[in-house]
Amino acid sequence: MPTMTLKASLRNARGLRRGATAIALFAAASAASAATPPNTLVMAWNIDAISTFDPAQSGEVVTNELIQNTCDALVNFAPEDERKIQPGFAHDWDVSEDGREITFHLRTGATFPSGNPVMAHDVAWSLQRVVHLGFGAAATLTEYGFTSDNVEEMIEAVDDETLVMRLDKPYPVNLIMHAIAANQASSVLDSQLIMEHEEDGDYGNRYLTTRTACVGPYRLSRWDAGEALILEANDEYWGDRPTLSRIFVRHVSEPGTQRLLLEQGDVDVARDLGPDDLADLSGSSTVTIEQTLRPQLFFWIFNLEDERFAHPEVRLAMRYLIDYEGLGDSVMNALGVPRASFVQLGAIGALDEDEGQPFSLDLERARELLAEAGFTEGFQANVIYGTLPHSAPIAQSVQQNASQVGIRLDLERMANAQLFARVRGREYQSAMLAWQTSVPDAHGNASRLVYNPDNSAEAQLTQYPAWRAAFYDEELNARVEEALLEADPDHRDQLYAELQRDVMETGPMAIMFQMYNVAGVRNEIQDWSWNGFRTYYTLASK
Amino acid sequence: MERISHLLHPSVEIGGVMTDSSARSTSASRPGAVLAVPGWAWSSVKAILSTVITLFGLVALTFFIGRLLPLDPVVAVLGDNISQAAYDAMYRQLGLDQPLLIQFLDYLRGVLVLDFGTALTTGRPVIDDITRVFPATLELATVAIIIGTGLGIPAGVFSAMYRGSWIDHIVRVVGLVGYSAPNFWLGLMGLVLFYATLGWIGGPGRINMIHEFDLIRVTGFYLVDTALAGQWVAFRNVFGHIILPASILGLGALAFISRMTRSFMIEQLSQEYVITARVKGLSWARTVWIHAFRNIAVQVLTVVVLSYAFLLEGAVLTETVFAWPGFGRYLTNALLAGDMNAVVGCTLLIGIIFVVLNLLCDLLYRIVDPRTR
Repeated sequence: MPTMTLKASLRNARGLRRGATAIALFAAASAASAATPPNTLVMAWNIDAISTFDPAQSGEVVTNELIQNTCDALVNFAPEDERKIQPGFAHDWDVSEDGREITFHLRTGATFPSGNPVMAHDVAWSLQRVVHLGFGAAATLTEYGFTSDNVEEMIEAVDDETLVMRLDKPYPVNLIMHAIAANQASSVLDSQLIMEHEEDGDYGNRYLTTRTACVGPYRLSRWDAGEALILEANDEYWGDRPTLSRIFVRHVSEPGTQRLLLEQGDVDVARDLGPDDLADLSGSSTVTIEQTLRPQLFFWIFNLEDERFAHPEVRLAMRYLIDYEGLGDSVMNALGVPRASFVQLGAIGALDEDEGQPFSLDLERARELLAEAGFTEGFQANVIYGTLPHSAPIAQSVQQNASQVGIRLDLERMANAQLFARVRGREYQSAMLAWQTSVPDAHGNASRLVYNPDNSAEAQLTQYPAWRAAFYDEELNARVEEALLEADPDHRDQLYAELQRDVMETGPMAIMFQMYNVAGVRNEIQDWSWNGFRTYYTLASK
Repeated sequence: MERISHLLHPSVEIGGVMTDSSARSTSASRPGAVLAVPGWAWSSVKAILSTVITLFGLVALTFFIGRLLPLDPVVAVLGDNISQAAYDAMYRQLGLDQPLLIQFLDYLRGVLVLDFGTALTTGRPVIDDITRVFPATLELATVAIIIGTGLGIPAGVFSAMYRGSWIDHIVRVVGLVGYSAPNFWLGLMGLVLFYATLGWIGGPGRINMIHEFDLIRVTGFYLVDTALAGQWVAFRNVFGHIILPASILGLGALAFISRMTRSFMIEQLSQEYVITARVKGLSWARTVWIHAFRNIAVQVLTVVVLSYAFLLEGAVLTETVFAWPGFGRYLTNALLAGDMNAVVGCTLLIGIIFVVLNLLCDLLYRIVDPRTR
């Protein structure tokens, strides 16, 4: 076997080296300058969750944000304070004396991108359609007495510019405005165009899977699932034309990749940065970290069909196993704030930051409570959780603390679709997951996390987390109903405060954190505006 | 598959279809010969039947396993916050209330006319989704296999020729890195160095946004589309985007191909005909490249085709790091969401890839090795 001399080796390697140099030079020449177009907002965002653009069906945060920027609702959350309402497609409204009829006065002369005129009939049809289809958004209306049988009568276009909404009870008007009129359920859809594409009585649901057909500042011009999405400004929009005429969303699921794109200036905004990226970017001279609390709670839910968790003392003991402070300073730093109350910060009726989180890691107290419940020797239980990045470290922290009081927690990670199926079917002992309300009012979560109209398995009230936990308390149900209809705002706040204090002690879930919306925004972007309920692309500029 | 398996032997059957020459030679003397059917016809019928049975088995297995998984496709479509009535309605709409066999037969009927159903996660026909994402993976895999083969075969041959020399050590170390370094880590480090620090490459994605709007999509292969349109600036941009992920994937292929080539070549170089050739005065390079290499060509070809097939399945982690809208990510997302229409459609495509590459391999054997004709 011959051996190779250095000279010969170098001669042989010369060709390879030349090739590599050529490739490197060619690649270097191809690296484009890093700047986004002046009229375009470019975002890196994980948009895998988008599966439809039908406002009646979509229930996840990414799609909701896009729908809110493509479809006008009757009214709007004020950008600076989500508790305030400002006009949307309705420029004004009146409330009857008995508080059971709201009359919306609509914009005139508006047209859809198709050229069809926007009439009150379109608004009424859009709302009625949500109830008839019965998907996720339907609960927004059915919760306040609208049914498939009465919705035509309760929501009516009295002329081309006026819509009347009738209510079965005198709910607080502000709540109805938040829960229905500002919700994507009242997105104004192009009824004529959509019904031309109806299939098998689906009210155009299939048609809207991949497109938008509504009145709004932007329209969806392209969506390649898992790749990119483009919104273009509507030329015929009734309102002010947005400064940025195009919104380009590039699907990037890896936070580290998002950060690189942001730092290089290939995107203007990165929406899914991790805690380490946020910490590193906090001192950047080119990027600003924007943060706002969102109405999403991350909690540990217990199934009360399991006799151990049926003891209120056990559920309370679990709360003392959570290291709120330690996790808040580490895993959840920049991602969320410790919160034990079921009402999110920023909502009407919410306890303040201190009173809404009275717990701390206290193993001794946990032991006492377990002893009171008759579990001095502890027990073994299962915790299931999904793919949220912070779920695993939080579950592991709790597991470690629990082991010190004799409780062995077995952790099981699974796909979200499996997690939700197990929890909805009450096929679990305990689980960690997130829940987001669409209402900046204490009732938004009271009506789901506390209220349970029927605890029987046959009732299958799977949209109520309280039902999923098999939690039923007649007295608490009555208090939720009482607070809902209380006309005096101060007294209403007081009722909710008492409810929160009690539910923190006995409720079916140990609420742990309220999440932030966080984004890295390049300094070229001005007036990035958002709150917990929507992001305002129309206000941004470069 | 993210990494090319080193456990596969080159003589393994691909996709369940017989590939070696013995299968053909025996088939000619079997019933086909008695019925006076030409050998090649009988062989073709057997290959087609075998392919159909393989693909049918693949569809059936994936379909039934998919239905047994504890993933809820209704929740994937409608989300978590829905009433039981809405859940039940969608359950029926998706046909999940039907007996499993009926669901399978319905699905099979669709497959026969290339209708794989609608993907729950995108709301579009599965065939449309695959048509959109597969070219991205095909383009990436093709560039990667060109890099892996172009460097891997010479590296393997040189390594065998100069066994024990520094060049052999370098090839083996590169091979070790190719096998053991996680693509996810290599990808991020590569981006930090070549994109963020040196600015040599175009970064994540297939093309910069500035060119994206002008791109005329014809084939879905951006290098080809930009070249066909004469958009050379965009072509360079696409090249700048593909070169790093392709190199990282190519490194894995290079490791596999170079190691296997080295091993085949070492075996050949110990044969007596090599010594005879050298004694007769043939140069070392001519002996290796003209005589020895021809004898390992079939085995190397098998290794290359296998590597290519695995690359075509999609490299999920590489596609994730590079925001590459490819087949691997699509399949993984579909699987996690319980989107079985998409999963079965993708599985079928993978099966077809293996079968097609197997047939292609078979054809190439005849060209490179006269004994197989």
